[in-house]
Amino acid sequence: MRKFVFVALVFSILLAGCTQTQKPESKIIIAGSGATFPQPQIEKWIDIYTKQKPNVVIEYTGKGSGSGQNDFKQKLVDFACSDPPLKEDLWKELEKMGQPLQFPVVVGAVVVVYNLPGVENLRLDGETLAKIFMGEIEYWDDGAIKQLNPEANLPHERILVVHRSDSSGTTEVFTMYLSLVSKEWAEKVGAGKTVDWPVDKIGRGVGAKGNPGVAAAVKQNPYSIGYVELAFALKENFTMVMLKNRAGKFVTANEETIKSAVSEVSVNIPSPREGYREDLKVLLNAGGDNSYPIVAFSHMIVWERYEDKAKEDAVMDFVRWILTEGQKSENIVNGYVGLPEDVTSKLLAEIGQG
Amino acid sequence: MRDPFKISLLPFCALVFGIFTLMVAVYFTASLPVFQKEGIHIYITNVWIAVEDNPEGEFYGVLAAIYGSVYTSILAVLIALPLSIGFAVFVIDYAPQKIKEPLIVITDIMAGLPTIIYGIWGVFVLVPILRDYVMRPLYENFSFIPLFSFEPAGGYSYLTAGVLLGIMVTPFASSIIREGYRMVPFTYREAVFSLGATRYEVTKILLGYIKPVIVASILLAFGRAVGETVAVSLVVGNTFNIHPSLFAPGYTISSLIANQFGDAFIYGYMVSALFAAGLFLFVIGLIVNIGGLIILKRYVYAKGG
Repeated sequence: MRKFVFVALVFSILLAGCTQTQKPESKIIIAGSGATFPQPQIEKWIDIYTKQKPNVVIEYTGKGSGSGQNDFKQKLVDFACSDPPLKEDLWKELEKMGQPLQFPVVVGAVVVVYNLPGVENLRLDGETLAKIFMGEIEYWDDGAIKQLNPEANLPHERILVVHRSDSSGTTEVFTMYLSLVSKEWAEKVGAGKTVDWPVDKIGRGVGAKGNPGVAAAVKQNPYSIGYVELAFALKENFTMVMLKNRAGKFVTANEETIKSAVSEVSVNIPSPREGYREDLKVLLNAGGDNSYPIVAFSHMIVWERYEDKAKEDAVMDFVRWILTEGQKSENIVNGYVGLPEDVTSKLLAEIGQG
Repeated sequence: MRDPFKISLLPFCALVFGIFTLMVAVYFTASLPVFQKEGIHIYITNVWIAVEDNPEGEFYGVLAAIYGSVYTSILAVLIALPLSIGFAVFVIDYAPQKIKEPLIVITDIMAGLPTIIYGIWGVFVLVPILRDYVMRPLYENFSFIPLFSFEPAGGYSYLTAGVLLGIMVTPFASSIIREGYRMVPFTYREAVFSLGATRYEVTKILLGYIKPVIVASILLAFGRAVGETVAVSLVVGNTFNIHPSLFAPGYTISSLIANQFGDAFIYGYMVSALFAAGLFLFVIGLIVNIGGLIILKRYVYAKGG
């Protein structure tokens, strides 16, 4: 009899264990990958959102805009993030599999950082910046730089140009800006995720991998100049170049100047159903006295329909949350800027979640 | 006649050989598109034009990376060889029993360390030291020598990569040489000493005796150096540049692949170009190994004759 009780006890414990382990089955897992630039922001959103919705698990892997696009195409992930908007070719390919939706989720800026002991508030305009990155301006005390910074004590030292060695959306935004402001750059180098840097051929350029690589190289080397994402520059306490905007004013990148640039162009954001129509150029070198010139959206790409209805609802709920709650300033990481409300409400209405 | 043991070994042999052949075949087929488009130019030009919308506008030439790979690996072997021979001889012949084992353990740990550890150390320690205390003084005083003719751009250079690689492969090469040197029969040593040779002469003769081991260690060290990716990528500068000077920044094949592979498939031919670059690593490996075989063959003849 005692034996029977014991066996019954063991069984009941085992059974209880079973029912407990079966419970989390209802969890919905959403996987995403793509750009590293918005990664801190996406992670913050995921963190806050999944606290509110314990039945949803969201995973994001930052491996570059292009990789994210490919993962999304191969259906390895449920959503992707990309700094540059998708190209038309890829969009048409995706459309054969279902309706993709692309929309901006956050705004960032690319800033020019430098390591020039004793010089604060360096001012540059687009043309000079392009000449520096082409290697045409060799020394820091070049006439063109002097003219923009009459008071600075510029040393007669050679400029070391640091750029990204991996292909990246940051490079695309930066080179696109240079192409817009310098005809010579547009003809000789052009814009792209990876370009043939003329300054490398003269041996005064070096490539470094990722924002951390560029940051380390600039920090390590006096008299160097490079470009990184704003959020990264803030985290690393870099001195940033004040750039001359289209209105002729010198501005640094901050929330105010980035918002000013976005407000100038918000009418130009296409419907999420035609994401490829978005033009990177419209945000660059925006008008307005207080607009920072190198500003870019980071985008999210999702499918309109998923095979699993529960997943579809979860993804759409996450998207809706990002475009409403997620844009509140307490949910935005320092260095990024949320979208203006008229933009988000327009996007939500077009996605059908308004 | 039938040896079951021999037959049971065949699948393993076939597997090893098969994997290698398949790999070469995959690399070759994957590089075909770029061969068809550019032909030999992929290996003999130095350009990297990636255009997203127009595959016809793309053009890739990896000569700079090939040059950099060979340059830095030769530097690494030149640095690692004296270091590792000296170290091996000291450990076996001179080191007191007490520190002998710790020395061996330390080098074995060094040989097994993840390469990123060397890379980070390289960026934060080696680059500034070489830039300020080696490259700058040499450039300022001896810039008429082609090797030193390049004004150092921040310390990222072939030299830095070569030194870092040399340090990385030294423990590896030295453990091979050490084991070879240890295996020399004691009677040989006694015999040479009995002829009245000094310690230096004995070491010289014994090292000659283990020449095949030294050649093998060079080959393996070169192979490791040529294939090293992360650490080199952090210090070599990653620029498409071909320059004779030690102080110029450059590229290597493996760091090129590591840097560009992430987004390569958004271009028409870049993946193929990177495979072609990888294929060239096989070729380099083949050339180096054949070179090693020839040296060893000569050695055998010399001994026989």
